[in-house]
Amino acid sequence: MKRGRWLVFLFVSPAVILVGVLMYYPMIGTVIDSLYATSFIDPTPKFVGLSIYREILTSIDFAEVVRNSCIWTAGVVLLQNVVGFAFALLLDQRLPGRALMRSLVLLPWVLPGVVAAILWRFMFDPQLGLINSFLIRLHLSGQGIPWLAQTSTALPAAIVAAVWKGFPFSTVVYLAGLQHVDAEQIEAAIIDGAGQLRRLFDVVLPAMRELIALNVILTTILTFNYFDMIWVLTRGGPENATNIFPTRIFELAFGEFRFGEGATYGVFSILVLTLLLALYAAIRRGAERKSAGA
Amino acid sequence: MMIPRILLAATALMAVATTAPAQTVTLRFWDNQQAESGLSIYQKEAVQRFEKENPNIKVDVTTVPYPEYQQRLLTAVQGGNAPDVATLDQIWIAAFAKAGVIEPLDARAGAAGITSATFFKGAWDSANYDGHLWGIPFNVDAWSFTYYNKRLLQQAGVDPQSLLTWKGLAAAGKKLTGNGRFGIGLFGHKGEDTTVVLDSFIFSNGGKVLNADGSCALTSPQSVAALRYLQSLVPYAPRGILNAASGDMRQLFLNGSLAMEFWPALEQPTLLKSKLDWGFVAGTAPAGKTPVGTYGGWNLAIFKSAAHKDAAWKFIRFLTRTDVNGSVVDLIPANIAAAKTFLAGKRRGPRRILKYLEDAAPRPLSPRYLEVSNIEVTLAQDVYSGKDPGAAASTACAAIDALH
Repeated sequence: MKRGRWLVFLFVSPAVILVGVLMYYPMIGTVIDSLYATSFIDPTPKFVGLSIYREILTSIDFAEVVRNSCIWTAGVVLLQNVVGFAFALLLDQRLPGRALMRSLVLLPWVLPGVVAAILWRFMFDPQLGLINSFLIRLHLSGQGIPWLAQTSTALPAAIVAAVWKGFPFSTVVYLAGLQHVDAEQIEAAIIDGAGQLRRLFDVVLPAMRELIALNVILTTILTFNYFDMIWVLTRGGPENATNIFPTRIFELAFGEFRFGEGATYGVFSILVLTLLLALYAAIRRGAERKSAGA
Repeated sequence: MMIPRILLAATALMAVATTAPAQTVTLRFWDNQQAESGLSIYQKEAVQRFEKENPNIKVDVTTVPYPEYQQRLLTAVQGGNAPDVATLDQIWIAAFAKAGVIEPLDARAGAAGITSATFFKGAWDSANYDGHLWGIPFNVDAWSFTYYNKRLLQQAGVDPQSLLTWKGLAAAGKKLTGNGRFGIGLFGHKGEDTTVVLDSFIFSNGGKVLNADGSCALTSPQSVAALRYLQSLVPYAPRGILNAASGDMRQLFLNGSLAMEFWPALEQPTLLKSKLDWGFVAGTAPAGKTPVGTYGGWNLAIFKSAAHKDAAWKFIRFLTRTDVNGSVVDLIPANIAAAKTFLAGKRRGPRRILKYLEDAAPRPLSPRYLEVSNIEVTLAQDVYSGKDPGAAASTACAAIDALH
């Protein structure tokens, strides 16, 4: 018994060491860095405690980054899940060419992030873009709208691009979920005279509750950390209209060589992600308990 | 007779045996590539030539695409894995020097007789910070030449020489805008190209970005007048200035929907490959003033952590030599003699380019330049989006002065 326990430790330890070195060491390093004033030009760290936090918390930049991150994350997650679920419902029907459609729908997701972003930068172009071309042809706009160059439209435009890129992930998850909904329950609902909408809200959605919650949390984590789409589309501009945590961290650390402030933004980012991960873990535990109970 | 011969042979053999072959060192050199020039092929040839001239030195070249270069280099320096020698953007020199990661080169340059006279003044100035020389100028260029579409200007009856004055440029912009076409390719995205164009207008009106003491000079009447002038050009520019880059303007210029674009001489290889009938003038300024461009370019620096500093210095001297410099750059050689040959063979209007380079000014030599530049981008975006230039300059100056 004792030997068996040692063997367990032996087999688990490489993974634990790897996770510790590759994940927790840099994370702890970031927290420590945030307590020191350090930059490339002044590399000798000076302990300043929480003063960088105070400075950042009272800055306009931080308020803008928080606001943008909230709108960006909420917008992308909500739309990505709704669109993803709608496509999953569609692809769950017995339609001709279903297998081909299931493959094609994955295309945006398998495209590299930078390629997708460049594609959308062209689509939104005020002079050459496809979107403006359509709007002008349909007489919905007299001239090209600079979607990514106006503070009022840049973030919504970036959200649309990110939803297009990410919705297939939700579609795949929900499609798998739909195929595990108890067929007997659906048949019973049909016998009871429930229409399609009724079946969706009373049978399908309750059966997929945990899966939806898990997918929402996962897409929230991925979206909050999503860097390349916004960086390629706008670099966080115009002004600060699309600056979110990852782009601001990159801008501070690599664009201005301000490592201490970059680290502080990083700590805020870690805090948000830790909360989301805790939520994810709680939902998973609840789902596991439920399935064990069943 | 036999004995002395044997002795001689034995002595020779001993000499060979005791003289250890000189140790071969491997030099790590990092550079970036800005244009689709096939530069790495020419660099390989130059490296082979260097290795032939210096059989004890091998050069390991790493060429990084420009957009990734800063991040890769910074990560390497922070991780204690800096190359021996690398090209540094002129605007990084002060920061790298202040951080103490590169070597001062005054003594080596002095001993080798290398002086400012060999290089363009602005390029040499950009390598000097805090009373020391930190790099040897490698390549240069200046923002910005005004490239124009000859056919569109002819149709509108615009004399290209009129573009050299602010009044003429604005008038041409007005004439050339309409019917789905645009006159002037202004851009104001978050990027260094936005800053250098802004600076060239400020410099050409006698303004400055920073004063000698490092304080902000953007609220001076000359600087504000330049900002006001730039704002007056907005109606003649393609829509979406705040997210447009020089590359976006190039696309419109090449497809004939933009009459004029601002680019350094680096643009010429692209235009030469196109079917467009184009010309250029060297900058623009108020009547009676000389257009002053903004210097761009790279300096060669040796890292403090370099294992082979002497070999690195040999390599720098080789790359900046008159007979070599022109074949290893994709901008313009910083060595004036090499630049003359390079421009005569590879660029249109070599004399105009040379004159513009001689008049150009470097960007502020501040260790916090990158922050200053980001503030300037915000200033440009404020101006292009219609805010009062005076008020926008005051906001920018408050932010710049708060850095110090």
